[in-house]
Amino acid sequence: MDAMGGNINLLLPVALPIAAGASVLLYPGFRRNRRHLLTAVLAALTAEGILVALALGTGGSLFLWQLTDAVVLIFHVDGVSCLFAALTAGVWLLVGIYSVSYMKQEQEEHCFFGFYLIVLGVLIGLDFSGNLITMYVFYELMTLASLPLVLHERTKEAVAAGLKYLFYSVAGAFLALFGIFLLLQICGSVPFTPGGVLAWLPDSGAVAAGTDAVSTKTVDKGLFLAAMFCILVGFGAKAGMFPLHGWLPTAHPVAPAPASAVLSGVITKSGVLAVLRVVYYVAGPDMLRGTWVQQAWILLTLLTVFMGSMLAYKEPVLKKRLAYSTVSQVSYVLFGLSMLQAQAFVGALAHIIFHSLIKNALFLCAGAIIVTAKKKRVAEMIGLGDQMPFLLICYTIVSLALIGIPPTSGFVSKWYLALGALASETGVWAWMGPAVLLVSALLTAGYLLPLTIQGFFPGTDLKRDETGEGGSPCPAAEKVSAWMLAPVFVLTAGALWFGCFPGFLLSMLEKIASGVL
Amino acid sequence: MIPGICGQGLSFQADGFRLIYLAIAVLMWGVSGVFSREYMAHYEKKGRYYLFFWATFLATAGVFLSADFYTTFIFFEIMSFTSYVWVAFDEKKESLRAAQTYLAVAVIGGMAMLMGLFLLYDLCHSLAFDQVAETAGEILSGAPVSCALGLPGRQLYVAGGLLLFGFGAKAGCFPLHIWLPKAHPVAPAPASALLSGILTKAGVFGVIVVSCRMFAADSSWGLGIVLLGLVTMFLGAFLALFSINLKRILACSSVSQIGFIMTGIGMSVLLRAAGEDGGLAVRGALLHMVNHSLFKLVLFLCAAAVFMNLHQLDLNDIQGFGRKKPFLMFCFLMGALGIGGMPLWSGYVSKTLLHESIVEYTNAVSAGGMASGIIRGVDSWGFWKGAEWIFLVSGGMTVAYMLKLFVALFVERHSVRQAEFDAMSAEYMKTSSKLALAAAAVLLPLLGMTAHKSMDLLADMGQAFFGQAGHRHTIAYFSLENLKGAGISIGIGVLLYLVAVRRPGTSGRRYTDRWLPWLDLENLLYRPLLQVVLPGIGGAVCCFLDRYLVSSVVAVFLSVSAVVCRAMDQMADFVIRTARRSTHSQIPWVADSVRCGRATDGSFSAFGKGISERKRKMSEKAACMKRQLQRNGRLVEESFSFGLMLFAIGLCLTLGYLLLVFVRQ
Repeated sequence: MDAMGGNINLLLPVALPIAAGASVLLYPGFRRNRRHLLTAVLAALTAEGILVALALGTGGSLFLWQLTDAVVLIFHVDGVSCLFAALTAGVWLLVGIYSVSYMKQEQEEHCFFGFYLIVLGVLIGLDFSGNLITMYVFYELMTLASLPLVLHERTKEAVAAGLKYLFYSVAGAFLALFGIFLLLQICGSVPFTPGGVLAWLPDSGAVAAGTDAVSTKTVDKGLFLAAMFCILVGFGAKAGMFPLHGWLPTAHPVAPAPASAVLSGVITKSGVLAVLRVVYYVAGPDMLRGTWVQQAWILLTLLTVFMGSMLAYKEPVLKKRLAYSTVSQVSYVLFGLSMLQAQAFVGALAHIIFHSLIKNALFLCAGAIIVTAKKKRVAEMIGLGDQMPFLLICYTIVSLALIGIPPTSGFVSKWYLALGALASETGVWAWMGPAVLLVSALLTAGYLLPLTIQGFFPGTDLKRDETGEGGSPCPAAEKVSAWMLAPVFVLTAGALWFGCFPGFLLSMLEKIASGVL
Repeated sequence: MIPGICGQGLSFQADGFRLIYLAIAVLMWGVSGVFSREYMAHYEKKGRYYLFFWATFLATAGVFLSADFYTTFIFFEIMSFTSYVWVAFDEKKESLRAAQTYLAVAVIGGMAMLMGLFLLYDLCHSLAFDQVAETAGEILSGAPVSCALGLPGRQLYVAGGLLLFGFGAKAGCFPLHIWLPKAHPVAPAPASALLSGILTKAGVFGVIVVSCRMFAADSSWGLGIVLLGLVTMFLGAFLALFSINLKRILACSSVSQIGFIMTGIGMSVLLRAAGEDGGLAVRGALLHMVNHSLFKLVLFLCAAAVFMNLHQLDLNDIQGFGRKKPFLMFCFLMGALGIGGMPLWSGYVSKTLLHESIVEYTNAVSAGGMASGIIRGVDSWGFWKGAEWIFLVSGGMTVAYMLKLFVALFVERHSVRQAEFDAMSAEYMKTSSKLALAAAAVLLPLLGMTAHKSMDLLADMGQAFFGQAGHRHTIAYFSLENLKGAGISIGIGVLLYLVAVRRPGTSGRRYTDRWLPWLDLENLLYRPLLQVVLPGIGGAVCCFLDRYLVSSVVAVFLSVSAVVCRAMDQMADFVIRTARRSTHSQIPWVADSVRCGRATDGSFSAFGKGISERKRKMSEKAACMKRQLQRNGRLVEESFSFGLMLFAIGLCLTLGYLLLVFVRQ
């Protein structure tokens, strides 16, 4: 084991939340005193924000640990790490603030907050990973650490859902592991390189690390493609890509709202990150372009996009509806990646950010509605506009953003995705992709807007009932606390702001894209 | 040009047409705003109404000032969503249903438009109107351009069609006119005036850009637009003639008038494609747009005055309301005469121009040499003569339904409440509302009477937007020829009124809706399709994929693999068991002896029947022998180990003795 070398700042944002989370879990003082617990959690989240900023600011890489010659753990910060780490830390802080108020009604808060912090540390580690091994280690850790968030309520369904989440994730990860072994065999534990390190050998049709590599092993083309497909499907499980999307609609409704929010908004994105790293930073987009793997990948993503929207449209329970919506929307991102084209790549990365903001806001809104109005089905949520106008306005704005109505952010990413798809030379998919995205947008309008419409325009019938009974339609309605409203507002503002002024973000993403494509 | 906003940046432009429409928008919002103060006085949640009222104004202004499709689209979508609130405003059941229709049309139209924009951008790498027009011209003349669909010409048509779908939906063009007759009656009347007067024009704005810029001289496109226009024009007028709801009639009338405008736009494209000058059609379409905005402002505000007092819109209920209210009658009459195309009112001028353009094209067709080669028979003299008659008959129907409204409101008496109505004459409107309405109403004859000055000026200002060069026709608007056209229309109108509405023979004064209630495109086709069929099929497939595919694959895999694994497991056991019994038996020669015994048994049973029973059981004997041998073997083993143990003990003693000796020394 060598000593650690490099920028030690990279380790801090990984270690701090894990340590904080462990102490929250183990130190009994936090269990007894809620105020101390919350102070500690919020302090840790804020400190984490600063540390991440520091780490991203100083950049560089950190040599962590060498297990064997081939198994090396390193951290490295590049554009993609920046994007994901900043997003994760920001969202975690906001959702943490929200949880202060939300978790009041739940049991065993310290348990939730402890694992909440640990997952944050692991995710930051995943974002900073500098090679495949490191990424895989943190990927598995993330699955395990996030499991208690799903299990939190300890009911029968929660346990069943948690197990389903575990099985799907582990099955996916093992599927991917096969591909990772193969890649390691070809190129060893090379650090992530924009544009990939593999190349076709010109004569034999085999795959090797670089064209001039003489000593490295080569692998048959068919085997390589099969392995890539396994990786795509395997990591796709986390990203909710068909056929391993099944855990999302089961796990989300039973988890507490903040947990669903981060599961849907950030953790699904780590599946995307893994796919992105393998395709664009190890194998290289040129290795897949035009192969059957790309075709199959596009097909799967489009199928998922449509299927998720359609099922969301038919789903009566709000949180489950949002979960299906996530299935669909994360596949927008995967679709953008599968095009292997710069503009679509930019659109995909932008959609990661935007969807994360939007879906977090939506889940937080749903949580607030469920807690205050005590309703779970959309059809029952009538006339909320009078009770929680501010929340519902935020809900409406982020809904429009998810549909992709300008000038909100969803429109910008969709614009890039569709134009990238049209410019990519993928034959029939070039125009079919945008068409499917728009049909899905239509369905998105169909499943999100009814809540707004019922909320603000409950109809005169309801009012008559109200005056007859002399009570509001939701008798138990309380006021939504400011702890809940503030994060929702910030997320909504972000979704709107990035729609109006995406210039800075887009130029950053274009820089990343020009590196890999 | 504002770069950076929404990714691509917004760009605006102000030319003659845009300024005219900006001015009209300001006028309309001003007038309706003033009127709303009185109209909305009794409603709750006024704040919501006004917020979206002005938000829509900004969005609409954005649409009319836009200089590229991107900007247009952004403001168009904002406009659609903010105006949704108007339709749903009073939250009645039918309002919510109408609002649902409105939203569905807006969203579907918006998505189609967006797809069109994607394809167009892929083709032109820009969405600025000028750039698009240039590239489209090159493509139509056969220049090769790389694109996603392979064939640039086809992609251009697909993109244009999708854009037309989106803009046409907002404009109220057939077959997407469904939202107009639903949404207008339920929206607050000042909002209906805006919906009909100017939001539909935002759709027309887009149609103009697509038709007159992208497909500036493409005969098949022009023909398509003309056909849509004719159908829309006729159908709208037809629906209006049969309706008995005041605002619904006005809404259907809007559909019909949009048909007139579309026809004008299509004619200008056709004329240009034929190498003629499209000026007549362009000016006609432009002026009719302006006129229609003003008509509908006046007429809907008159309807607002009625609704404000009676809260009813059915012609049977409001019959005779206008009697003894000269101001209301004056304003309504101005609007009615204008839209009916009466000479000296502004509608006459624009309709004459449109009529002239059809006549011009008919003449050109009959003169021959129109090698457009679209569909045989369509480009014939007979077809265009037919089109001209459809135009005249639609104009006639316009006269007929306006006459119907006028008679019902201002001539006939209400059978029961007439005295009550008359008593309202003094204070049915506030002065501010009256002033606003009067200002709009007076404009119509003013424009019509000074046609050569005012309207020509407007046309000169605006025609550049249609891609029309400065050449100016001096048209004798009041020549005999043109008056004849108007005369025919009005004649048809009066005739239709007498035959279809009054129906000599029916004595009662009831207006009945003769339209078959089930014959509704929306309820018959769109709603079932969108709400039942598509989600049904799509949902079933997706449910299958979601629930059954994975789980059944897993189940099949599990059961198959369970069987296989069990078999493999058993196989190994089976092999081992067989081996232990036969070849790998621990004492092979014992097993052999058993086998020998069995074989002997077999041979005995086969050969000797006389051999005694005792001798037959050789296998048993062999087994006994085996057991004996095993016992003996164990004895031997035991004795051997006993010996070994003694040896070990002896060895230990010897070693101990040696150690003792070693230590002693």
